[in-house]
Amino acid sequence: MGNGEVEKAKMRARPIVKLGIFLISHSSFVSVICLIAAIVALLLLPVLAKNTYISENALMPGSANSMLSTQDVSEANRLVKDLTHLYLRSPIESQQIIGQYMSGLDAEVTYQKFYPQLNRFHPLHFFTNSDLGISSSNMNCSSLGINTVGIIRAPRGDGKEAIVLVTPYNPEKNGLGEALSLGIAYSVFSLLSRVTWLAKDIVWLVADSRYGEHSAVDAWLREYHDPVFHRNNLIDSETCNESNTTTELEQKLYVDKKFYSGFRRAGTMAAALVIKVAEDSNHFEDSLNIYAEASNGQMPNLDLINIVNYLAVHKQGLRIQVKKIWSLLGFRWLNTLGVIFESVGQIARSINPQWKFGIPASEYVEGTATLASSLYYQALGVPTGPHGAFRDYQIDAITLEISPKVSLSKMTMRNDFILRGGRLLEGVVQSINNLLEKFHQSFFLYLLTSPSKFVSVGVYMIPFVLLITPLPLVAASLHIDASKSTTPQTTEVDVSRKSWKWLNSARKVFVIHLWGVVVALLPYFLCRLPNSTPTANFTLWGLLSAFSLIILYLILGSPVFEASASQPEKREWASLKSVTTTAAFIGLSLMSVINFATAEIGALFIIPICLMVQPLKLDAQARSLITLLRATCNLVLGLIAFPPVAYVLLKVVFDDVDGFNVGEYWNWVESLWAWNSATYLYVGIVHLPCWALCIHILFHPC
Amino acid sequence: MAFPVLSFLKLPMNVLVILLIFLSSIGNSVAYLSSSSDTTMHTNNWAVLVCTSRFWFNYRHMANTLSLYRTVKRLGIPDERIILMLADDMACNTRNKYPAQVFNNENHKLNLYGDNVEVDYRGYEVTVENFLRVLTGRHETAVPRSKRLLSDEGSHILLYMTGHGGDEFLKFQDSEELQSHDLADAVKQMKEKRRFKELLIMVDTCQASTLFSQLHSPGVLSIGSSKKGENSYSHHLDSDVGVSVVDRFTFYTLAFFERLNMYDNASLSSLFNSYNPNLLMSTAHYRTDLYQRKLEEVPVTNFFGSVMETVHTDSAYRSWSKKNVGHAKTKMSLDQSITDGDKKNSRNFDDEDQFNNEYQQDSVGQIWNTILTNVNTFESIDAVVCYGLLLMLPLLVVSTWLSK
Repeated sequence: MGNGEVEKAKMRARPIVKLGIFLISHSSFVSVICLIAAIVALLLLPVLAKNTYISENALMPGSANSMLSTQDVSEANRLVKDLTHLYLRSPIESQQIIGQYMSGLDAEVTYQKFYPQLNRFHPLHFFTNSDLGISSSNMNCSSLGINTVGIIRAPRGDGKEAIVLVTPYNPEKNGLGEALSLGIAYSVFSLLSRVTWLAKDIVWLVADSRYGEHSAVDAWLREYHDPVFHRNNLIDSETCNESNTTTELEQKLYVDKKFYSGFRRAGTMAAALVIKVAEDSNHFEDSLNIYAEASNGQMPNLDLINIVNYLAVHKQGLRIQVKKIWSLLGFRWLNTLGVIFESVGQIARSINPQWKFGIPASEYVEGTATLASSLYYQALGVPTGPHGAFRDYQIDAITLEISPKVSLSKMTMRNDFILRGGRLLEGVVQSINNLLEKFHQSFFLYLLTSPSKFVSVGVYMIPFVLLITPLPLVAASLHIDASKSTTPQTTEVDVSRKSWKWLNSARKVFVIHLWGVVVALLPYFLCRLPNSTPTANFTLWGLLSAFSLIILYLILGSPVFEASASQPEKREWASLKSVTTTAAFIGLSLMSVINFATAEIGALFIIPICLMVQPLKLDAQARSLITLLRATCNLVLGLIAFPPVAYVLLKVVFDDVDGFNVGEYWNWVESLWAWNSATYLYVGIVHLPCWALCIHILFHPC
Repeated sequence: MAFPVLSFLKLPMNVLVILLIFLSSIGNSVAYLSSSSDTTMHTNNWAVLVCTSRFWFNYRHMANTLSLYRTVKRLGIPDERIILMLADDMACNTRNKYPAQVFNNENHKLNLYGDNVEVDYRGYEVTVENFLRVLTGRHETAVPRSKRLLSDEGSHILLYMTGHGGDEFLKFQDSEELQSHDLADAVKQMKEKRRFKELLIMVDTCQASTLFSQLHSPGVLSIGSSKKGENSYSHHLDSDVGVSVVDRFTFYTLAFFERLNMYDNASLSSLFNSYNPNLLMSTAHYRTDLYQRKLEEVPVTNFFGSVMETVHTDSAYRSWSKKNVGHAKTKMSLDQSITDGDKKNSRNFDDEDQFNNEYQQDSVGQIWNTILTNVNTFESIDAVVCYGLLLMLPLLVVSTWLSK
């Protein structure tokens, strides 16, 4: 009976096995189909984008009338005036003024002193946010930052949740834009200090952005979430003059008895909003830029963007924007493609009016530009603003940058501007206040094609899956070919050696990947060199990488380890390619879990060369048109897939940069590791070794 | 009937006569009981008002229920006969701009959460289990009387439910559902336990009419805010409070009742026809196939108020057993019970027991009253003579048996 069942299972499995064998035997055909389908699917993404909708019922944006009055606004304007007229005074003084204004609203005010954490490469703490990075050397008194924090407690709330407003402020620079953003936040803050409907506490953080916006916000968040009990470092620094001035700064508040010298906390943060005001004013209308990308391509919940979008467009009449790559808008072929999709959509609609397919060509081009930027900034893995610090604590946050239409030096204009910005902010806060639990209803994995359109994970997965499907198929077919083509062996030892032949290639692949790790670790030592320019660093990095490759080759690739090297296999490159594609497949699949956008862009670069690569020698020997074409293709693809070249290409296409020096690449890489971006790991450990192996196969002496 | 007579052989004759008349009156009452709801007097009114949904954004459901509560109270159902179930407390929600107040209109003229609101089941007490327990009356012993639906076979019950519903279900508390089968089952139990005479189920949810599709107990009238596949919508948003404050169906129901007072004679059909599908944005659907009376003849105050037929008594302090009020109809119902067949007959034995128990509680004077009225109803002397002759027959048998 047991046997019968096994046989039945075999019978059942047979069609699948057959299908597998069919796919493997036609792997080249299948991979061409898959790649074309993947490109088409990728280009179709803007067409397939859906309109955003507010998924969480509890939010109810815009259901309540705005209560922000002109009195709040004129108070806020007074603060702006006070701040902008402080040109000759010290930075401390402006922070003192902010503190006084806050306590005037019966808010709890504290100052938080912090030392900006320099972004350093810590290979051992790559994904963790450790504060081991504060080394005593840069803890001098001059680099002390002071965050001003005001908290309004919800009058009838349980104090378990909070909404955070952040305004980056550089007291040394004292720009009008920053002062206005403080004004907007202040107007809302003063309104919220009076209302009765708060369910969550309101925290207003004026982040001292002298040493970077992100680090100030990050320092506050770190202290908020991980209290430090042994502050040896800080006690040492209390002797500094600067800290004396901070106590001086606090004294005024001591008089009011509203000041508490410790660190004040509210509840769990439901959401955070960073408010900025752009100073350039050459826009056609008041517009609002939304920045949402946090580290490693993490996005805040789509509902947060939706409510901001809804309130800005429908209530305040602001034009809302997300980042887009402007250079793409000028591409002729993209426009043509858009026209084609549009006409296809029209044909589809004429056949069946139910099919709502296709969007206008101009919208398609805009959507593509936005999608490309969304993909690019997610892939980069570097947060696009101070909101990135919140995402590290699983808090949904976005940055709102409001650009005024006209210059804001005029008073009346300023009042109107603060009123609009304040009403938007009030609406968003009230909507989040209605929230009952964390944001969870809407998407976390999405790409935006416009502020009100998105591509969800289920759709944008398709091109990637189509891209990586051919990899295992080609690997399997190559493996089968390689084991078949060798001459039949008679002795048992030969047979066993033949079946384990791929291990030899696997060893080679492993060694190259090990080299990738070494290359990725080298900057840790390089950035410790004093007084070095980026260009020099980059050159040194390249040289050291090449050197380490040679050393590794000498150690591990020497004939001592390679027992069978005496008789070079004829089809050795095939099995090497098979293992390489498998490694690329595994690497890309893993990366797609960590940062999907990186994997998608990386796949576009590495997969064509992985699939097409063939020794040049063989192609040269065949001397037919097809083989020559393939050889040139391979050479071009091999060039493109080299990380620095790929970087330059992306830069030229997207950013319209004319000149380029090598140091820029070093700076880019530096920013990647400084922000703990997984993209850095991907480039070092997956992309570079795979590229090196492909080049190795390309120049393989068959 | 002969066996009990045999056991009382030694009793004097007049006692025997009285006994026989007494037994015949039992027979009448049994026949009357078997067709309970048709003939029982409408004695009292109950209302079960249920708001099933939590969370601040469902403010309107609580406002709906409280508005209905206010209306039925105004029209005369006392607080102790209203079971009010509210799944959440919007009045004290921190997001409420007007603490401890609930409004159903943006004009804020009427605070529904005033002084005299008695909430029987609140917050997490509002569950499907508790709801079914209230309907069927199967409580744990510790549950106080104020939380029980102590209705009887003469009760008219208004059951109003609002919340989020779907095809054949109503969501309770964001965690469980009441299915239409559950409701039908509970109503059937109520019917068998004689907990109501007539029941009006009013549901304001999406696809409301699906909730009472499984009912098949007689005496149940049901109306829902929307048909299957339709949504029920909120009426308007109060931009001051920041939420929708009332649902359309309830809003127009209240608009209808605001024009009425306790003494008005508006019929149920006028209420049901007042719903305009264009204003409601859904079709109010009602089901009358289980309900015997004509809607035109039933005043709304029969359910939404506490207005019932008055009974004239001859003297002020003579207490009437309610069983005898509907006596004139007895003969008709007797015919019905015969045609109903075995099922009802088998139930009659239980009824008899129950009846006897109840009967013993009455005073002897009342028994005598009953007998008297029974005797009075014998319309002609002929009938008395006939009965007399019939009584002679067993006496003859007994005397011949004794003389042996």
